[in-house]
Amino acid sequence: MEDFLYSVRGLNVRYATRSGDVHAVEDVSLDIRRGEILGLVGESGCGKSTFGKAIMRMIRTPGRIESGELWFDGADLMTYSGRQMQSVRGGEIGMVFQDPMTSLNPVQRVAEHLTETIRTHEPKVSELAAMARAEELVEKLGIRRERLDDYPHQLSGGMRQRVMISLALALRAKLVIADEPTTSLDVIVEAKFLDLLRELRDEFDLTILMITHNIGVVAEVADRVAVMYAGRMAEIGDVYGVFAEPKHPYTVGLLNSVPNIDLDEHDLYKMEGAPPNLLSPPSGCPFHPRCPKAMDICAAEVPVLHEVVPGQATACWLYDGVGVAGG
Amino acid sequence: MSPLSLIFLIIGGPAALGLVYIFVKGSAGLRRYILTRIALTLPMVFILASLVFFVLRVIPGDPVSSALGPKGSPETVARLSEQLGLSDPLLVQYGRFLGSVVTLDFGNSLTGAHRPIVDEMSERFPATLELVIPAAILSLAIGIFGGAFAASRRRRTADYSLRLYSVIIYSLPIFWLGLMLQLLFGVKLGWLPIAGRVDAVIGTSLHHITNIYSIDAILTGNWPALRSVLAHLVLPTLTLGLILSGVFVRLTRINVIETLQQDYVEAARARGIRERVVIYNHALKNAMIPVITLIGLQVAILLAGAVLTETVFSWPGMGRYLVERISSRDYTAVQSVITMFALFVALISLAVDILYSLVDPRVRY
Amino acid sequence: MALQTPTSHEQEWREDLRKVGFVRRLLAGRHWYGTDWWLVAISAVMVLGFITLALFPSLFAPYSPDEQAGPRFLAPGASPDLPVLVSLATSGITELADLAVPTGEPRPSVGVVRGVPTAQALNDRAQELNQELNGTGMELRPRIARFDSLDELLRAVDDGTVVAAVVQSTEFEQLAGDFPTVGEGMSIAGGVSSEGGFILGTNQIGQDVFSRLIWGTRIALLIGFSASIIALVVGVPLGLLAGFTGGMLDRILSVIMDSLYAFPGLILAISITAVLGPSVLNVIVAIAVLYVPTYYRIVRGQTLSVKEELYIEAARSIGAKSSEILRKYIYPNVIPSVAIIFSVNVADAILTGAGLSFLGLGLPPDTADWGIDLARGQGFIQNAWWLITFPGFAIMLVVLAFTMMGEGLMEIFNPKLRQR
Repeated sequence: MEDFLYSVRGLNVRYATRSGDVHAVEDVSLDIRRGEILGLVGESGCGKSTFGKAIMRMIRTPGRIESGELWFDGADLMTYSGRQMQSVRGGEIGMVFQDPMTSLNPVQRVAEHLTETIRTHEPKVSELAAMARAEELVEKLGIRRERLDDYPHQLSGGMRQRVMISLALALRAKLVIADEPTTSLDVIVEAKFLDLLRELRDEFDLTILMITHNIGVVAEVADRVAVMYAGRMAEIGDVYGVFAEPKHPYTVGLLNSVPNIDLDEHDLYKMEGAPPNLLSPPSGCPFHPRCPKAMDICAAEVPVLHEVVPGQATACWLYDGVGVAGG
Repeated sequence: MSPLSLIFLIIGGPAALGLVYIFVKGSAGLRRYILTRIALTLPMVFILASLVFFVLRVIPGDPVSSALGPKGSPETVARLSEQLGLSDPLLVQYGRFLGSVVTLDFGNSLTGAHRPIVDEMSERFPATLELVIPAAILSLAIGIFGGAFAASRRRRTADYSLRLYSVIIYSLPIFWLGLMLQLLFGVKLGWLPIAGRVDAVIGTSLHHITNIYSIDAILTGNWPALRSVLAHLVLPTLTLGLILSGVFVRLTRINVIETLQQDYVEAARARGIRERVVIYNHALKNAMIPVITLIGLQVAILLAGAVLTETVFSWPGMGRYLVERISSRDYTAVQSVITMFALFVALISLAVDILYSLVDPRVRY
Repeated sequence: MALQTPTSHEQEWREDLRKVGFVRRLLAGRHWYGTDWWLVAISAVMVLGFITLALFPSLFAPYSPDEQAGPRFLAPGASPDLPVLVSLATSGITELADLAVPTGEPRPSVGVVRGVPTAQALNDRAQELNQELNGTGMELRPRIARFDSLDELLRAVDDGTVVAAVVQSTEFEQLAGDFPTVGEGMSIAGGVSSEGGFILGTNQIGQDVFSRLIWGTRIALLIGFSASIIALVVGVPLGLLAGFTGGMLDRILSVIMDSLYAFPGLILAISITAVLGPSVLNVIVAIAVLYVPTYYRIVRGQTLSVKEELYIEAARSIGAKSSEILRKYIYPNVIPSVAIIFSVNVADAILTGAGLSFLGLGLPPDTADWGIDLARGQGFIQNAWWLITFPGFAIMLVVLAFTMMGEGLMEIFNPKLRQR
């Protein structure tokens, strides 16, 4: 049995709305291995961001975690008290947000962001010591220490994103969840950012969960990739394997949709249909209304996620009986 | 030195120094901001003063004869008009009026004691200040913390109660609240006095330096006077402060709710920052920025409330002075009082705008 | 599939469905909007109630507001201590006028208790009535008989020594049980029997507080609505124009409006009424001037933000004229906010109006108005608490109703609308 840093079992997240409950995350189980970069992809609204927040137990009303187990480093976070979770957040698990402009407090200097975080988790640390650590940290990330006195709006986009990372790393978090970290960056800055991420993973022994809708980013930097659709896990596996031989029809469609400069307009692939309404999701497999390979059973029963080839698991009736159960 | 000038010096002196300091130390953007604000204040004062002037000249009939009443024979009226310069062409009068605004020399009151208006205002303006400043502080305290608290407990009982409080307070006529407080604490319970600034007998022992009685009492060590003054301050301050707090509760609540939906609040939570710090430190500080700009507007409501409160509690301030002077048809005084109000409002707006620029780092740098 | 023109029958049926739908939708909103729906519903009922009171005050008020119907300073719930005529139930005499006899005939004797001021009241009233009877051949000149105690007096009525007696109604009530044959008639003052209650008491000149409360609604609502409507009619077009055209016009107007807006409203209203003189119209105008900037600002702000929207650019690119754009796109987007502001505005206007009349400015002194009543009542705070409690409470209730309605509507139609 491998050593997983984070094992999610049967996570269900619901949002209460006036028209009923939205099933944002439906029965998702996932293992994150120590030291890996796991990419979590899917279209907007598939539940990946919700998942990211849920595993930090940051779902607030009207959302709630209906059920599930969150085994982080040997303990089920669902049993933790508010106090305990507070020390986990930032201390053990850190988050890097999508838009660094709005994710930094406009009336707080950069330095304060860091020192406050440090001193919240380690109250015995003095202001000076915290400042020293902050300086050290930002230098590692390529930010000059003079910039610490600045306010967020005085920094460039790329620098702000690095500040965000430094905040996630300030307390040597074991797991960093990056929620669409490069969406608001231009491609050059994005490339630098991804390089930085790899370096940091090596230097700090980080495990990273990269949530993104950009498959290219995943292809470049991730070790494994997990594909979500309509709140459920569709496929998960080694990035080379999944990209070379995708098993789930949705993954196939997703990969085919990536435009290629060699294609001309008639070869552009477009998936039929639209993502389902999560208020009343389709019965059985949520993808079946759009699936070119749908069978009768697909509309009737939900497929179970299971390994079909070593290192790759999928939830699809096409592979019923193939491979081993449990992933 | 008249109390009025003293007060202007006490407030204006440090303010001017502060302004110079900000100007010198601030960035170019800040300097531009401050200059623009000052530049905008001048037209405002100008417009308001002019409005006052022209509106009062629209009076059907002659101010002098209505002031003198039946006692005035046509000759007396003519002579007085001549003396007061009211028979000069309108533009000349206007010019003279503008001049008087600049030098703050408003002439004498038309009716009653014919004292210099500046003197009469010197006595009353500090009285209004003594009432208005504690009331403002009270309303801000209740409003800001109440609003933040309501926002933090959104859609729960505390939130609805505070919203109900602010709606009811807003609907309460301020003069009625004052009357009810008088009835309860003054008449029925007899705990507190209901009229005036100080007990008549004790008041004679008080030396007037600034005309702000509580400060004067402290400066002269007159403790019985201080007790009396404070006792007289309680009900009026409570009245004015409570009514205004309703507005601030709503304002703060809405702003904090919006701020709490911002990404950086979520990001702070993700770093494990405690909820109370998130709300009262991160969110509130940001929410305060738009609230500060609106504090300037609330000064207007404060003054309007002061007029009514002073009437209810027989508080000898500028508000009551205005009403008195209108009833006795003393148009010179009325004109002067309103101009003073306009000046006051303009200056406070300016101060608030500058304060805002200091608080919001996006403007400062 | 070709479009089919609906038959008239279908159209009818569609119309009906739409009508039902609206009402049903209105009620279904209960679940959707929760608390805010109830807020709007309750306050709407209250507002309608007040409007009814304002339109038909005589239906609800027992007295007319100027009528000095009762004794002065009567506390709420207390029955007025009126001097009433009592006589044998069998005599058929119920009021003072019944004691008139043809001239020359023996004068009837009426008893009073010694030392009680009812004798004076009796004399006065009898003289009044006698004047009226001049020339009719009848006269009313009762002979006054004095008794040492009420008990003796009533006994005299009982055994016929006196034809009738004038006593204080409250005292009579205490002994009435002992003298079953003696009945209470009308009050000798103006024909009001002590049965006509004054639920909330009377004021310093004997007017019924409750009636004045009801009649006060009329003035309050009149001022509130009129001022708001005028302000709306002036402010909205100006705001649209300024927001849409921009440029010099916008700048000039905005500076003026901002200055007005920043200035303490009440003080502005005071100055205007001082200049124009006391009358209802002048108060309305003064308050209207106060609120023009409010509408101006809101409408201008909305216009500006709508103007920036992409669909306006799109409309222009297909050749829409400015007037069309104003009419079709900007106007409909701006109107909901205005409707909401209107409700809160009426509340504000009523408050300002009450403040004005409290200060004694603006309304003619004989108007039945809550503010005026409060101002007069203040002088009697020591002994007549009801004079200041009820009018103020009425103000609060009306203002509350309009404010709640505005607040609720604001939450429902535009929950993210910033406060201004």
